[in-house]
Amino acid sequence: MVFLTLPLWIRNRGPDRFWKVQDLLKHARHFRGRKNRCYSLAVRAVRRAFVYATKSRKLKKRNMRTLWITRIAAATREHSMKYPALIHNLTKSSIQLNRRVISDLAITEPRTFQSLAKIARARQQEGFRAALGDGREPPGVLSRVVMLQ
Amino acid sequence: MAASRGFTGLWRTYVTLRRPPFCVPAAVRTQSSGGGDLLPRTSLSRPPWADEPSPVGLEEEQRRHAAVVSAVNQRIQNRDFGRLFAVVHFAGRQWKVTNEDLILIENHIDAECGERIRVEKVLLVGAEDFTLVGRPLLGRELARVEATVIEKTESWPKVHMRFWKRHRYQRKRWVVQPQTVLRINSIDLAPNLS
Repeated sequence: MVFLTLPLWIRNRGPDRFWKVQDLLKHARHFRGRKNRCYSLAVRAVRRAFVYATKSRKLKKRNMRTLWITRIAAATREHSMKYPALIHNLTKSSIQLNRRVISDLAITEPRTFQSLAKIARARQQEGFRAALGDGREPPGVLSRVVMLQ
Repeated sequence: MAASRGFTGLWRTYVTLRRPPFCVPAAVRTQSSGGGDLLPRTSLSRPPWADEPSPVGLEEEQRRHAAVVSAVNQRIQNRDFGRLFAVVHFAGRQWKVTNEDLILIENHIDAECGERIRVEKVLLVGAEDFTLVGRPLLGRELARVEATVIEKTESWPKVHMRFWKRHRYQRKRWVVQPQTVLRINSIDLAPNLS
């Protein structure tokens, strides 16, 4: 080891530790307890907070969708229908409104939502009529339905 | 394309029943205990609303439909509607917009600031007394939605952090998305409706 002068004998540390620490603590200032002041505790808390924020961005999409579905189900039940029937019949009528918009309409535009429910109900009845037909078997077929007639 | 209205002046094709809870429906399947219902009759085996009312005949339905269509046509001809709202498909999302609305879009658009844009995919247009529902879109000549690009900016820096505990693995990345702000200027209906 060669130290030519006394100042060089003193170890030189990095000049910006203060600012690096503040950069991390600024993300922890709104936390509760010593995590908002003490660096070691803050490091762990901030890491958890960032990871939760990352994961929650995906969860938020799922939660919002369940919320919309719940709201649409409640609104359709006010009109004597159920949610699966509404969605299925709207899709069959080639109305491609998504759940967010339908829930917004149910909240702010009740008459429009009622008209959508009517469209779905009409399509449902059409489907039932097409499925039940006229209640007769095809000609030449002998079955319980024919015997009961 | 279906047109429908919620006018209380005319008849309603759908009857709102006062909710008599668990009332006996008109068409009761009277079955003996030997035959058996499909389901045992409990408090939850039927929905809490009563059965639907008897369906109207085909001619009556067509007459009502024609009356509704002509009434809506007249409204549109006389431009008798107030504020219109529309459901519009733009940038991969559906938006319920009206006049003077601001929309924040999380991506870049090729138009410059201050340019006027016509939003083409209109799914639904509604006024106070009638709604026009597109299957799935309304015609281009029927509804016209115009917007202006107000602002093109970037989002606040969001953090993307991965961490596996006990494996000494963590990655941190700051993500900044481009954003665009649109102002919906006007929603318009054309006078001809088939």
